[in-house]
Amino acid sequence: MVGFGGRASIRIAFLTPAAVLMLLTLVAPSAIIVAYSFLTHGAYGGVERPFTIENYTRLYDPLYAAILWRSLWIAGVATAVCLALGFPLALFISRSGARKNLYLSLVILPFWTSFLIRTYAWMFLLRDTGLINTALQALHLIRAPLPMLYNDGAVILGLVYGFLPFAVLPMYATLERLDQSLLEAAADLGAKPRDTLFRVMIPLCAPGIRAAAILVFVPCLGTYLTSDLLGGSKTILIGNLIQNQFTASRDWPFGAAASIVLMAVAMILLFAVRRRGEELL
Amino acid sequence: MNRRGFLVSAAGVLACGRGGRRLNVYNWSDYVAPDTIPNFEREFGVRVRYGTYESAPEMLAKVMSGNSGWDVVFPSAEFVQPMRDMGLLAPLRHDLLTNLDALGPLFRDPPWDRELAWSVPYMHGTTGIVYRKGILPEPKAWADLWDARLRGRITMLDDPPEVFGACLKKIGDPLNSADPGQLREAKAQAVLQKPLLRAYLNAEVRDQLVAGDVAAAQAWAVTAGQAIAAAPGKLEYVLPVEGFARYADTMAILRETGRMELASQFINYLLRPEVSAAIVGATQTATANAAALKLLPAAVREDPVLYPPAEELARGEWFEPQSAASQRLRDRLWTEIKSS
Amino acid sequence: MKWPVSSGQWPAKTGDRGQRTGASVLAWYALLIYAFLHVPLLILAIFSFNSSKFTVWQGFSLDWYRAAFADRDLIEAAANSLIIAACATVLATMVGTLAAYGLWKRSSNWLAGSMYLSLVTPEIVTGVSLLAFFQWSFRFLHLRLGMHTVILAHVGFSIAYVAVVVMARLRGFDPELEEAALDLGATEWSAFRRVTLPYLMPAIAAAAMLAFTVSIDDYVITSLVAGIDSQTLPMVIYAMARRGVNPALNAVSTVIVVALGAMVMISERLRRRA
Repeated sequence: MVGFGGRASIRIAFLTPAAVLMLLTLVAPSAIIVAYSFLTHGAYGGVERPFTIENYTRLYDPLYAAILWRSLWIAGVATAVCLALGFPLALFISRSGARKNLYLSLVILPFWTSFLIRTYAWMFLLRDTGLINTALQALHLIRAPLPMLYNDGAVILGLVYGFLPFAVLPMYATLERLDQSLLEAAADLGAKPRDTLFRVMIPLCAPGIRAAAILVFVPCLGTYLTSDLLGGSKTILIGNLIQNQFTASRDWPFGAAASIVLMAVAMILLFAVRRRGEELL
Repeated sequence: MNRRGFLVSAAGVLACGRGGRRLNVYNWSDYVAPDTIPNFEREFGVRVRYGTYESAPEMLAKVMSGNSGWDVVFPSAEFVQPMRDMGLLAPLRHDLLTNLDALGPLFRDPPWDRELAWSVPYMHGTTGIVYRKGILPEPKAWADLWDARLRGRITMLDDPPEVFGACLKKIGDPLNSADPGQLREAKAQAVLQKPLLRAYLNAEVRDQLVAGDVAAAQAWAVTAGQAIAAAPGKLEYVLPVEGFARYADTMAILRETGRMELASQFINYLLRPEVSAAIVGATQTATANAAALKLLPAAVREDPVLYPPAEELARGEWFEPQSAASQRLRDRLWTEIKSS
Repeated sequence: MKWPVSSGQWPAKTGDRGQRTGASVLAWYALLIYAFLHVPLLILAIFSFNSSKFTVWQGFSLDWYRAAFADRDLIEAAANSLIIAACATVLATMVGTLAAYGLWKRSSNWLAGSMYLSLVTPEIVTGVSLLAFFQWSFRFLHLRLGMHTVILAHVGFSIAYVAVVVMARLRGFDPELEEAALDLGATEWSAFRRVTLPYLMPAIAAAAMLAFTVSIDDYVITSLVAGIDSQTLPMVIYAMARRGVNPALNAVSTVIVVALGAMVMISERLRRRA
C-alpha cells in the first residue's frame, strides 16, 4: 500500500460521503434503537420514559428462547441444505471450462428476479390443488393431495430456493482458485476420490464455504416473509416477533430489545466463524 | 442533492397526473366497486390515492405516527375509541355530512360511537364458519372446528381477537373477556386446535375454499359471501350456536388532514344510497346504509349470509376495545399460541 | 494459480473410469439443480397464459396480462420502484466506489466496520431501526415518510455491496501504476480518474447492477419506511400474494423475470465488448 504523505484532504473527501451515509443509515438508527430498548411503550404505542430494563428481562423467558431456538434451527437447516446442494454445483461450474460464465449466469439469473416472486412460485406449486399435487394425482401415484404447503418443510424449501445462489457464488470463487496440482498430488499418493474430496478439497475451500454459510445463515435468521407466506402463519420466528412489535402490537421498546438480541446472536456467530485475512473490506 | 430532488419531484408530478386537488384514502382491500372511486374523481374533480390494507392493526401502525399522509381511513368499530383517545381522529362535521340519515337507526347511534361524533358506519358483518357441503361433520358450532376428522383442512383467521373470540365462545365465556383465567383457558383451546389447523388465513382462504383445499374455515361474512358466489351450491355459511362476533367497519377522518371538507364530501358520497348499493353489488358486503338496502333486490336483502335474521344476530356480540393490561396479556398469549 | 489444462477438462488419467463416471454424475446433478432453480419460474410463466384461474389448463389467454397492465396501482408501483432503484443505484455506486478506493488507500476501521455491519445485519433490524430513526427525526424536521426516506434507506444498505465488489477488484490493482502517473506530474484526482477508474469500470458496472437488483427487490425495509406516495412493486406483489393465488401475479412475475433477464444479458454483452 502506497503512502501519500500529506495529501490527506483528498482521501478524506473520498471517505466522507460514505461516512455521512453510514452515520445516517446505520449509526444513528442503531443508537435510537438501543435507546428505545430501554424505554417504556406508551398506552397505545410510541415510546415514553421512564427508562427501564424491563424489555430485556421480558425476553428472558422460555417462550422467547423457544422462538429464538426455532429460528436458529430453521436457518441452520436451510444453510446446511444450501451448502450441501451448492457445493457440487460450484464444483461442476468450476470445471466446465469455456462454458463457465454461462453456467454461472444460469445460477445467478433466478437471483435477479424478485425474492417474493420466487416464494410465490412455490406457493403456486405446493398447494393442494397446485401443479405438483395435480400431476401426482393424474399419474395415480397418490390418491389424496399431499399437504406440502404451510409447514416447516415448505419454509425451508422456500429459503433454500431463495438463497442457493448466495451459497454457490462464494464457493465457486474459492474452487476456481484451487490449485489443481494439489489434487493431482493427492491422487498420486494413492488417495481415493472420496478422500481427495473430504480431506483435501473441502478443507482448501473452507474460506468460501464459511463465506457462503454467513451469506445464507444471517438473512435466514431474520426472515419472516417466507414463514408468513409458505408457513401459513403458524409459526412465529424472531423476524415475525420483531416485525409484529413495530406494526400490529405497537410495542416498539420490546421490539427494539428483541432486535438488539438478534443482532448480538448474529454477531457472536459471525465472530466465531471469522478468520484473519478473510476480510471482505 | 440536486439530481435526486429533481427526480423525486418528477415522480411527484407523474403521480399527481391531473394535478390540483387530491385525497388520500386508506381502506380494506376489496371494499369498493370498480367505479366508485373513478366516479368520485370525475364528479368532484379530484385525484384520489387509494391504498389498501389487510388488517386493522396494520392500518393503525401506519397512521399512529400522526403524519402518515392519509386523510380518510376505515377503522373497525372497536378501534374508534382508542384512536380517538390517541388524538388521531378529527371530530366529524355533521353539517357537511348531509346523508347521515341514510343509515338505519342502529347505525345512526351505535354503541361504540354515540351520535357519530368521530366515525360513520360503512359495512358490517359477522364472523362465522364457512364450509364445503358434504363434509363430515357439517359444522354448526365452534367446537366442530376442533374435530379430528377435519384434520389438516381447517383454517382460522390470522387475527388475535377473532381467534380468542371463537375459543372464548367455545368454552362459554364472553367475547371481550379480560379475565386472565378465561383468556388462558381460551389459549389452551387454541393450542389444542393447532395441530389440526392447516393455516391461519384471512381473506386468502377464499380461493382455497373455492378450490377445495380447505373444508371449513373461520371467516368473515364478506369473505364467505364472495366464496359462495364464486362456487355456487358448494359452500355454506353458518353462525355458530355458542355465539359469534359482530364487526362493523367505519369511516373516519384523520386529525392530520388538511382537507377536512374534501374528506367529508368523500364520506358523504359513500353514504349515498346508490353508491353504497353499487359497492354491495360488487363486493358482497353488508351495508350499514338502510336507504341503500331498500335499493337492493330482495334476494340480496334477505341473504342469510350478509343479513342474518334478528333471532340469529341476537347470539352475536360486538367487539369492544381492550384495556392496556388485557391487550398485553392477549398479545403474549397469542405469541404463545403461535410458537407452540 | 490457473488450471494447468486450459480447456478445463477433468484431469484425464487414462483409463480411470472412476473419474469419468464422477464427471457425468456431477453433470447430471448440475442439471437437476438447474431444473430446480428454473422450472418453478417457467411454470409461473406458463400458467400466466392460462385462461382459467386454476391449475387446470383451459386455453391460452392474454387476459391476465391485460389485467396487470390495466391496474393503475401496479403501474404506479412499478414506476416508483424504477425511480427509487435508479436514484439509489447512482448514489450508492458513486459513494461506494469512492469509499472502496478511499479505504484501499487509507484504511479506516470505523468505516469498514460499519459497512460490514450493514451487510450482516438482518433486514428486519435495519428496517425497524431506520423507521425509528426517521420517525424520531420527523419531530424536528416536519417531514413524513416518502420517496426520500426509501431512497435514503436503499442507498444506505447498497453502499456496502458496491464497496465489496469494487474492493475485490482493487485488490488486483498495482499501486505502482498510480505512482507512475503521479511521478509524471498528475494530480491525485486525475491519477485516480485516468488510471484507476478505467481499471475499475467492470467492477463498478457489476456493483451498479447488484445495487439496482437489491433495490428493486427489497420488501422488508421498504415496507417499513415507505410513505403513501412510495408504494413499490414488491409491496404490491406481497399484498397480492397474501390474498391468494392470482394469475395476474403470474403475469407480473413473468414480465419482471423477462425484463431483468434481458437486462442482465445485455449488460453481459456490453461488458464483454468493453
